[in-house]
Amino acid sequence: MNSSATTKTTAVLVALIIVVAVVAGVGGYFAGQSAGYDAGYKAGYDKGVMAGGAKAYEKGKSEGYKAGYETGYKEGLKAGKPKGPTLPDKIKIGSLMCLSGFLGPMGQKIKLGVELAVKEINRKGGIAGRPVELIVEDTATDPKTALEAFKKLVEVDGCKVVIGPMASPEVMAIGKYANERKVVVISPTATSPKITTEFPDDYIFRTVGSDALQGKALADTALKKGFTKIATLVLNNPYGIGIEEKAKEVLGDKIVLSIRYDPTKMDFRTELSQIKDAGVEAVIYVGWYEDGQVMFRQALEMGLDNIQWIAAEGVYGEPMFKVADAAEFMKRAVIGTRPIAPTGLITYKLFAESFKKEYGKAPTMYQDTAYDATMLAALAIAYAGQYDGAKIKDALQYVSQYYIGATGHKMFDKNGDQLTQFYEIWKVEKVDGKYKFVGIGRWP
Amino acid sequence: MVVVNWLQVLFNSAVTGSLYLLAAVGLTLTYGLTRFPNFAHAEFMALGAYAGYTIAEQLKLGFPYSFIAAFISSAALGAASYLLVFRPLTHRGATIIHLMVASIGLDFFVRHLIKQVWGGEQLSFRMVWPYFDVGPVRITGLWVALILSAIVMVGVMHIVLTRTRLGKAIRASANNPDLAMASGVDVEKIALVVWIVGAALAGVGGLFRAADTRLVPLIGWEILLPAFAVVILGGIGSFYGALIAAYVIGLAENFGVVFLVMFKLSTDYKFAIAFLILILTLILKPSGFGRLFGEGGKVV
Repeated sequence: MNSSATTKTTAVLVALIIVVAVVAGVGGYFAGQSAGYDAGYKAGYDKGVMAGGAKAYEKGKSEGYKAGYETGYKEGLKAGKPKGPTLPDKIKIGSLMCLSGFLGPMGQKIKLGVELAVKEINRKGGIAGRPVELIVEDTATDPKTALEAFKKLVEVDGCKVVIGPMASPEVMAIGKYANERKVVVISPTATSPKITTEFPDDYIFRTVGSDALQGKALADTALKKGFTKIATLVLNNPYGIGIEEKAKEVLGDKIVLSIRYDPTKMDFRTELSQIKDAGVEAVIYVGWYEDGQVMFRQALEMGLDNIQWIAAEGVYGEPMFKVADAAEFMKRAVIGTRPIAPTGLITYKLFAESFKKEYGKAPTMYQDTAYDATMLAALAIAYAGQYDGAKIKDALQYVSQYYIGATGHKMFDKNGDQLTQFYEIWKVEKVDGKYKFVGIGRWP
Repeated sequence: MVVVNWLQVLFNSAVTGSLYLLAAVGLTLTYGLTRFPNFAHAEFMALGAYAGYTIAEQLKLGFPYSFIAAFISSAALGAASYLLVFRPLTHRGATIIHLMVASIGLDFFVRHLIKQVWGGEQLSFRMVWPYFDVGPVRITGLWVALILSAIVMVGVMHIVLTRTRLGKAIRASANNPDLAMASGVDVEKIALVVWIVGAALAGVGGLFRAADTRLVPLIGWEILLPAFAVVILGGIGSFYGALIAAYVIGLAENFGVVFLVMFKLSTDYKFAIAFLILILTLILKPSGFGRLFGEGGKVV
C-alpha cells in the first residue's frame, strides 16, 4: 500500500468511526444512555483529526457520514427501547408559530421544519419507543395571543417543551409564565438581546444567535461601505430596539436620526419624510413582512431608493416580492443580513435532502433552526428519561454540547443562547423577470 | 439639528385626514340619525376594499372600476344592514346597547364571511402609481386621487345638505325625528339613504387604505378607532364637524411624528396625540366642533 492510499483508507475509516460515534451517541440519547457516547466521540474525533488531517477528513466524511448515520441511529434506538420507564406513552411537544398576522407567511413555512423533525423522530421509532405528538398553536404574531396559546399548551395539553414562539415580543410575553410553570421554551427565530438580559439562566432557549451579533453585523456592513451619516428605522418592540441599541454601540454619533415605528399604523409617510430630510447616506432597517412591504412601497413612492438600506432578516423571504413596488425597491436600494448555517455542513445537506423529499422544495430561512430546536427538544426528553420540565432543561444544556444539527454545533451558553452565529449579507436581484435573494458576503 | 420638510408633512396630513374623513362621514351620520355607534361600519370599509381588489387585481379591470365596485358593494351592505338588522331591531324596541351589540355581532359575521371568501392571508394591489415632485413635496397618483375623492365628496354632500329637499329632510330627521315625521318626512327612508351613502363612502375609504397599504380582514377595524375619534371630536352627527376633525387628527398624527422623533420617542405615540386632543375636547367642549355650525348642535 502506498502512503496516499493508506491515508485515504484511514480517513474513511476514521470518519466512519467519528460518525458512528456521533450518531450512536444521538441514538443513545433516545435511549437515555450516554456513557459510551462521550468516550466514543472523543476518541473518534481526536483520532480522526490527528491521524487523517483536515484534508483527508473532508474527503472521507461525506461517504462515511451517511452510512454511519443510519447504522448509529438504529443501534441507539434498539438499545434504548427497554429503558425510559417514566416517560409517558405519548410524548407531547408543543409549538407556537405565527401562522397569521405580520409574520404569518414566514410562520407557515417555519412550521414545516418542526413537523419534519417530528416525522423523522417518529419514523425512527419515537423517543424510546414512544411516539411524539406535535401540537401547534397560532400566535397571530401578537404577544397577548401568544401567551393565551402558551397557557393552553401548558394547562390543557400538559406540554413541558414548546418550540417557539417566533417573535421576540412573544417570547418576552411568555417568559415569566414559562419559568413559573417550569416549561422549556426553545425559539428558533427570536433574536432580541433583551431576551438574554430579561431571562438569563432559565427555561428560555433559542437556536438562533442573539441580535447582539446581528446588530454588529449590520453596523459593520455600514462601516465597510464607508457611510458616516446613518439613520435607524426599527420596529418599536424588543426585536427592533435590540438591534438599534447594538448598532448604536458600534456606530456612535454616525447615527444622526433614530426612528422607532408602530407596525400596525401602515401610514409611514411622515417617518420616511424625516429620513429624507435628514440627508443620510444609509438606513439600518428592522421590520417584518407585512409592515416591511408597506414601508418599502411608501419609501419607493417618497423617492428613498437613492439611499442604501441595510435590513435585518425580518424582511428576508419570497413573500416580500408579492408587492411589486416593495420588490422593486428592494432590488434598487436594500441589502441585509440573515443568520445562516456554516457553509458545507454535511448535516445541513442531510437536512435539506430530507426536507426536499418530504415537501418537494429546498428549505428556506429558519426552517433549519426550527428543525434543530425540535431535535434538541426530543434529545433532551430522551436524555432526561422523564417528562419533567426541570429535568428536560438540564438535559437540554447537556445534549446541546454534542448536537451537530442542520445549522451546525448548537451548544447553548448559560443563558440558553447560541455561542456562535454566522450571517450572510444578501441583496435582491431580478433575473428573467423574477426577483430573488442573492448572497454577496458573510459576517464575521 | 433635524431638518424638516414642513410642506411634505402638511401634505401627508392631508392624505391621512382625507382617509379618516371618508371613513368617518357615514359613521357620524348614521350615529346621528339612528342614534347608536355602528361598529359594523369597519366592515363597510373592508368589503369595499376586497370588492375593489377583486375587480382590479383578479379581473384586471383597472382602478376606476374597482372604485365603482367598492362604492356599490359597500352601499349594498349598508342597505342590507339597515333593512335586515337595525330597522327590525328598532321596531322591536331595541335600545342603544342592543343596537351597539348587534352591530359588533354583525361586524364579526361580515369579517369572517370576508375571510371565507378571500382568505385570511394578506393581499396586495399590484398596480404601480406614478409619482412626481411638486417643489419640495413628493406626490403619488394614489394620494392625489384620495384627496380629490374627499374634496368631491365634501362638495357633493355640501350641496345636497344645503340645496336639496333630501338634504333638508336629512337635517330635520337628525335634529328631531319626531318633529320631522310630524311634518311629513319619511324618517326611515331618509335613514336608509344615509346608511347607503355612508357605507358607500366607507367602502371607497377602505379601497384607498388597501391600495395604500395592503388587504387583511382587519383592515376596517384598524381605521375604526381614529374614525370614532373623528366622530366624537367633530360632534356626533355633524358632517361639517367631522370634516374639520378628520384633518385636525390627520395633522396631529403627522406633526406628532415629527415631534416624537425630535424627542427620541417611538412614533407609536402619534395615536396618543390624537386621543389627547379627543380627551381635551370631551372635557372642554363635549359637543365637539358640531356646535360651531348651528345653535342646535345637531345640525348635520
